Order: sequence, then C-alpha cells, then structure tokens
Amino acid sequence: MSDQSTPFFQPEDKIPLPPKSAEVLTTCCDYCVMACGYKVYRWPVGSADGGPRKHENAVNRNYPLRPNQSGWIGPNQYTQATYDGRLYNLAIIPDPDAKVVNVKGGHSIRGGCIAQKVYNPRKPTQDRLKYPMIRINDILMPVTWDFALDIMAAVSKHVIAKHGEAAWAMKYFSYQYFENTYALTKLAFKDINTPAVAHHDHPAIVNSVPGWVDMGYDIFSASHEDFALADCVLISGTDPYESKTVLWNNWILKGINGNKTKVIMINPRRTMGVAYAETHGGLHLDINPGSDTVVQMAIQRVILENGWEDKEFIDKWVANFWETDSGFGQGTRNTPWQWRTTWGKFQVKGFEDWKAWMLSQEESKPEVAAEIAGIDVAKIYKAAEMMAKPKANGERVKTSIAIEKGNYWSNNYLNTVSIGTMGAILGAGGRPGQVVTRLGGHQRGGVNGGPYPTMKSAYKVPGRRRHRLDLDRWMEAGHVRFAYVIGTTWIQAMAGSSALADTFKKLIKLNPHQVRSFDKQEIIDTLIRRSDSGGTVVVNQDIYLRDPIGAQYADIVLPAATWGEEDFARANSERRIRLYSKFYDAPGDALPDWKIAAKFAKKMGFEGYDWKDSNDVFEETCRFSRGSRKDYQVIRTMAQRKGMKAHDFLRTFGTTGLQAPLMLFGDKIVETKRLHDYNRTDIPDTGPEGVTIVNKRMTAFKTHTGKLNLLKSPWAEWSDFYEFMKPRDGELWIATGRINEIWESGFDDFERRPYTQQRWPMNFLEIHPDDAKARGVESGDIVAVEADRVPIQKDFNLGVKSDDMRFSGLMKRGHIKISTGQFSAVAIVTPSTKKGVVFTDFLKMDSPANSVTPRVPDPFTLNYRFKIANGKVKRVGESVFKHKFSQMTFKRRDIV
Amino acid sequence: GTGGKALAAEMARYPRKLVGKLSSLKTNEVQHFNYPDDGSTAKSVIVKLGTPAGGGIGKGRDVVAFNALCTHMGGDMRKTYKSEHQVLGPCPFHQSTFDLQRHGMIVSGHATESLPQVLLELEGDDIYAVGLIGLIYGRYDNLKG
Repeated sequence: MSDQSTPFFQPEDKIPLPPKSAEVLTTCCDYCVMACGYKVYRWPVGSADGGPRKHENAVNRNYPLRPNQSGWIGPNQYTQATYDGRLYNLAIIPDPDAKVVNVKGGHSIRGGCIAQKVYNPRKPTQDRLKYPMIRINDILMPVTWDFALDIMAAVSKHVIAKHGEAAWAMKYFSYQYFENTYALTKLAFKDINTPAVAHHDHPAIVNSVPGWVDMGYDIFSASHEDFALADCVLISGTDPYESKTVLWNNWILKGINGNKTKVIMINPRRTMGVAYAETHGGLHLDINPGSDTVVQMAIQRVILENGWEDKEFIDKWVANFWETDSGFGQGTRNTPWQWRTTWGKFQVKGFEDWKAWMLSQEESKPEVAAEIAGIDVAKIYKAAEMMAKPKANGERVKTSIAIEKGNYWSNNYLNTVSIGTMGAILGAGGRPGQVVTRLGGHQRGGVNGGPYPTMKSAYKVPGRRRHRLDLDRWMEAGHVRFAYVIGTTWIQAMAGSSALADTFKKLIKLNPHQVRSFDKQEIIDTLIRRSDSGGTVVVNQDIYLRDPIGAQYADIVLPAATWGEEDFARANSERRIRLYSKFYDAPGDALPDWKIAAKFAKKMGFEGYDWKDSNDVFEETCRFSRGSRKDYQVIRTMAQRKGMKAHDFLRTFGTTGLQAPLMLFGDKIVETKRLHDYNRTDIPDTGPEGVTIVNKRMTAFKTHTGKLNLLKSPWAEWSDFYEFMKPRDGELWIATGRINEIWESGFDDFERRPYTQQRWPMNFLEIHPDDAKARGVESGDIVAVEADRVPIQKDFNLGVKSDDMRFSGLMKRGHIKISTGQFSAVAIVTPSTKKGVVFTDFLKMDSPANSVTPRVPDPFTLNYRFKIANGKVKRVGESVFKHKFSQMTFKRRDIV
Repeated sequence: GTGGKALAAEMARYPRKLVGKLSSLKTNEVQHFNYPDDGSTAKSVIVKLGTPAGGGIGKGRDVVAFNALCTHMGGDMRKTYKSEHQVLGPCPFHQSTFDLQRHGMIVSGHATESLPQVLLELEGDDIYAVGLIGLIYGRYDNLKG
C-alpha cells in the first residue's frame, strides 16, 4: 500500500455568501418524493459577496451557525451558471425557513448536493446533451431541431399509417413535472392514440399497489405528520432513513423520540433505520425475499385469534356481503377490481367470511409462515402485539402502515392485498397517526393528457378481460416499429434486461437499414425501410447521453431542459404542489420536454400545441387533475380571479405550496391534509359547487360504497413461481434496491458528483460473512454475480383457464424462455444482510443488476417482480479500492 | 499517511498549532482539541485508530484528526467514536456516520461532504495541526468563522 493517501473529493474550504441584494427564488429538490423546499440565491459574478453578519447576507444569518440552525452553504451547495446571458453565483440550500416537509431546512445527501446538478461547463455536468443529434455512419452528429423533428415526424406518420398506432411506442417517465407528462400523454393518447405506452418503472401503465386500489385505499393518503403521531408504524420493503431521508429525519424521528413511536421494519437487511428502530423499542422482521404475504397473514391471524381487531371500525367501514355484492368495488362493470376478482380467487362476503378464510389457511399459521419467511416465530406474535394489543387503559394502539418497492415489487397483488387487509382490521386509514400509505419513489408529476386506449391493447387474459399492453413483450415480439423514449434507460431499468438488450440489438443494430447519408429524404427513406423490414427506429430524449439506449441504439437524440431551466409544477408524497422556479438557462439548444413534444406534434399535424410557455401548459393541465388526489384546478381559477398566471399564483405559496385535493369555497382555498378523513369538518354542507369537487376519497374510502372491501390472498397463486425462484445449488437470493446517496437521482447525480463517486466508485454487493467465507470473498474484492436461469415471459398468449396464466401454466405451455444475466460489483462483507441474501444497487450502467431479475410480471397486475432474483457469486479478484483510503468505505452501514 | 508532512500547498494559510503528544495517545482513546481557532465550531478530535488510515501519522500511520461537527446539520460527534469500526457517529441528530480510516468519508447518512480532516505533522513527539480538508459546518470560510 502506498504511503500517500489523498481523498478523491476535496471540497473548497470557503464559499461566498449571497449579499443582501441577491435574488431569492423558491424551488424544491428534483429527486425523491418528499420534494423538500429549497431556496436559490442568485447574484452576478463580479458583484460584491455578502458578509457574515445577519444584516450583510441574504440568508439572514450570523455565521458561523449554531448546530441545527440551518442556512449553511456547504461546498456542494454553491455553483455558477448563466441566466439571461450573464454569469451568476448560485447558492442552493434547503429552505432554512421551510414550514412544511423539511421544516427549518432539513435535507438528504442528494438534495444537499443538488446545486451540483446545475449545468456548469467547468464541472462534471459539462457533458449535458446540448444539441439534437442524428446517427449517421453510427456516429451521433449535431443537427437542428427542424432537421431532427422532420425526420421523426415523417417516419412516425409512415409507421402509424402502415403498421397501425400500436406500432408507435412511447416509453417515458411518469413523474417529471405536470407540464411535461401532460404534453407527452396528450401526444401519445389523445392524438396518436396508441396503447404501446409504458412508464419508466413498469412494463405497462399499471398501478403499483393494486391490492389497495381494489380494497379502496388511496396509495398516497397520508400526511407526513402522521408518522410523528402514530404509536406504531409498520414499514415494509424500504428504509426511509435511506430512501425518504427527510421523512425519517423530520417526521419518523420526531415520533420515535417525541412520541415513543415503535417502528417495525420488514426487510431482509438490517439497515441503519432498522438498527435505530431496534434500539428504540422497534422490531425487525428479517424475512426472506418474496415471503411477505404469509408473514402478513400470520400477523393477522394472531390479531384475529386474540380479538384485537378494531371491531368498531370494521362494523362501520368494511363492506359487508350485500355492500360488496351490490357495488362490485369501484364501479358496476369492468373495473380492475372485477377483472381480478372474477378469476374467483379473491372476493369475500364481508368480514366474517374473510376471517373464516384467513383462519383456514395453512400459511397463516405463525409457525408455517415463520418457516417460509426464515424468521423467528416469536417476531410474528410480537409484531401483532405491538400493532394491535390494546393498551393497559383499553385504548387502541394508533398504528400506521407504509410500504414501498421491496413489498410491492415481489409478490405484487398478494402482498398489497394482505398488508391492506391488515390495515383494515387495525382500523387504519383516514385518522391522525392511523394511515395506510405508500412512502413513494419519484415525485408525483403525472397528469394524463388523454385516456389510455385499453380497447386497442392486444393483450387479453382469460375471460373478457383486456390488460394494458406489456411494452417489453410487445417490443420483444417485434411489433414496435418506432419508439420514442423519454427520460429513462428503458433497457437496464426493466427486468431480465440482458434479454431485452438482445432484442434491441436485433431490431436496431443488426437491421441492414442504417443511415449513411446527410440527405434528409434519404435518411427518412432508410428509416422507413428499417421499420417496414421488421426493425425499429428509436428517438431518445434526455438530459445526458445514456448507454445503451442513447449511445448505441437511438437514431435521433434530443436534448431536454430540466429542473431549474424552466418553470414547472409537481406534487409530493403528501399531495403538496409547489412551483419549481426557473433560475438559469438550459445548456445549448436544449428544450423542455413539453416544448419538444409540441414541436413534434405540430409537425405531425396535430392541433392544440400552440403553448407559448410552460404556464400555458400548466393552465391546460389543471382541469385534467379534477377529481384526482392532486386536484389543483383551484389554482387556475384563483389565478384568473386575480388576473395572474397560474404559475405565478402558485409561486406566491413558496416552498409551502398547496396540499391537494383543493377545494374552493367563496375565495377560500381549502386544502386536504389526509385522505379518507371521515371525521373532517371543514367541508361546508353546501357540498361541491363550481370548480370544487368533493371526491369520495376525501371523506370515505375509494369504492362504490365508500367502505373497504376485504380480499383473500391465497398463497397458491404465487407459490409455483416462488419455488422456481428460490436459490438452489449454491445460488443466493439477489436483492436489488437503492441506497441513500443515489435514490431517485441516479439519472444525473451518480456519475457527476465527485462526492458520490468517492463513496461509491463502483457498484457494491453486500454479502453475509458466512456466504462470503464459503466463496473466499473479502470486503474490497470484485465479485461476479451470474444467474443462469432467468425466466422471461416471451410472448403474448391467450389463457383459457385461469391457471394457464400462472407460472407453472406458462411454463407448461411454452411461454417462458430461460435467459442468463451477469454483473460485477465490489463486495462489502457485512452481517447486516441476511445469510443467503445479497444486496446490490439496482441500476448501474456498467453493472446491470436487472439482468438477473425475472421478467415474468404478476399475472393479475403486470407489475414486475424485481425484488426476487437468484444467482451465484464468484470472486474475481481484488478491487483497486481494497487497500486504498481515497475512495469507497467497507464499514457496515448499520452502526448504532 | 502523508509521510508525516502535510502536502497541500494551499494549506499555507492555516495556522500551525500544537495539538498533542504522540506518546500520550492510547489506541482508540479520543482526545479533544480546537482547530483552527477556539471558536464554537472548531471542536476536533484526534485518535490513534490502531490500524493504518488515510492521512495517518506516526509509526503505524494510524493517528488522524477531524473536525467533529457533523457536516449535515452540525451535530457534535466528539463522543460518538466506535472503536470496533473506527468510525465517528452515528450523529445524535440524524445518524450520519463517518469512516475515520478513509479521510472521514460518509459511511451512511446525509452529509454533503466528508468530515473535515485536520492535516497533521509530527515533529519529534509533538503533533501539529497544519490545515484542513473541507469546510467546517456552519462556517463560510474555515479561517473566518
């Protein structure tokens, strides 16, 4: 080992303070669903900086600060950028005066470094996409917008006319601001009217938590405050310490330390949040991947056998036989609830019928469930007691339930049903500290500009039911002739990604029709010939060139402008809507996604895209939010009354924003703290009027009757797939997930934050000491992870009997092919991960962990099962980091 | 280690301050000192880790020093050293933890830079602090408070 050592990242040891004259703009962090409030201080380079006394700086603080005071500008919170052609200093810090979300300026490592997201030609962001490019002789060459979009439009018109709308596909982010998602979906759904559309994180447009949808729980019903009010919080499939940082720092810790809240975590890993919860009366259910349902059922069995269920709530808010039967869930005919339940597997005749079913299940016996999950059975009894056993004074424990991807991205339907019914019998939903909610991933920026054309989907399942199109399978089957890919890697983000990459290569790279001319018509003709020959033409729109979707496959690459480069609006996990201010100029010729979509739409001959600015788009989106959990039509109405732009009206609410759904009574805006709030009293008896919609989910549950439907969760619907996926012959469970430093931010921060590169220069693999020893692996070694039986559902098929769609039925009928997957990582040997389970980051360009995840979606819901994979781990050799101190630490991450 | 001498030329502006005696350091015993001044945010620790470390001085290259305020929100971590892991933390505020073996790098948590490492030089038995890598929490300039 060298005698010298220098840290990879050496930050500045002084930064300029913004002067009193600095402009102050509000925005929010661009990354996770919390959307913490941020302030941008902007002052011209060359003008005087501020001083350390309160009256000398725009932050209004005396420096040095006191601990926890907020208002610090760290080295990663300062940068420079041009605005209106002039160079400015920018300090971007969590709003020290924030009144909600990150109250008084809390932040994560991601948001705390967000100033480094800003395009700065002297920093690692200098490789932003700046010009439209077209691939000629396999090199991406800069062109003009008109040149690129003329080609895109001509090929699109041909594909739609000759091969049909479904041959024109769009794969896009579901979250990147209302203005952008609206413009893109208006294009795809209203005007092109294609069913071949999928979000960045699913093979189709699906709901992540369908069990709750069918029961009547809204998936984002809670207020952050609920986590500080609960007596007990069950958190499944995530650790908010790592992946909802400010929910942990500002709200859950407030509960643990102020209210003695007990936190139960379900996760195969002992993360920092788990470790901290355990030292504060909490509990860790360290289950095997994919075994959630039986553990959730067993806990409910214990609750039922002890009579700890909330009888009053069940009596009032759980549908009985007649209520279930009369309304069939959310509607009268053809609802998702009905599609799923008419398979005859799930519906019940009220609470007693459900209870009898639950108590009759072999898998709900605590001993059986504990055996499947690989946990100490005592933990099941303990969890039931913590959540449901009445207090000494007879009061009920206020319990909340929160889940994320570790839960719903394995056994999607059964997990979400069985944790939902647990909420129902605990009386959770709609009361302070008693909620059932997702914690969330990306922010909530989706608004649909048109309805999904379900009837055009080619995917039918037994009976009369039509699913939305599985775009990955549609692509694999060769039906996509034109793909417009916006703000997602598509390939690595999807399950079984090496098999998907093979498909892209076959349809694009290996197709003989490649562009070798700069003549526009010849380019169009070549790409049309490709599509007619069964190949695919790809347009990729993003802020950086992504490999392989942009770098290798795209025929046209379009540069997008993003956060800070345009005024945008978006909601967070408690439905709070804020204005994200533009504060600097986008690089080069980059344009916001809505504007690119509009330019393209006009070339296609579509009408209704004459927006002058993003406010025009925002105002148009407002009415499409009506009746939704994000209903913000009121913003437009009030702006009109005041003679303001809607964006500017929203801007006046700063980082506090407005918590939707919004109602208007006279000139008074009424916000919504939590949904299903059947005790709320601030809605006048006059009811809905004018712009105001009093949606049922505000004061009841989201079903036909307003009551929760209980559902069954029969293990047999999952067990054949689970048996196949279980590790055998030296394999380990491969659990993929996220880490604090890169969470809903990897699309731009991982490669471009020297501080993050210092911590995580390569992908990692956490492995238990016993598993490591058996393979001769030490911390710092490079390991190869290899899966040689990755199941891929390869085609569309018509199931006649319901069991045909089960994994064993698909296997029997030849609809599954077996693929392989590989990636490498640096080992971190730590007892924090369960023996037999390794953990790795899910999405690194050079370490595609999704190559080992199974591409067989949940047959009921089309959600992928990303969280259960298997593979073998082999030592390759030592990494450069093993004996150096400058990058990557191998300390366990759960030290308390 | 830095071979007993801090290298960075830009450190010239920092004061050279005697912060301890090598012979007085026991493995895994944390000593407190202030650097680069005696302001409220100058709280620092020096510790002999018992295992080689980046920037470490002494025969075992295991003596390192850091400003002890968490770079997330300024929590005082002077009393949080975990000898079995050679880390400082978790911070009492929000549980950020830092690896003292690797230049104060974040192990887990929310901070936006590593713990500022106090650069050390050895002269006989005397340990001098001669500079800092990174900005001390709450300051806008390490030398101006």
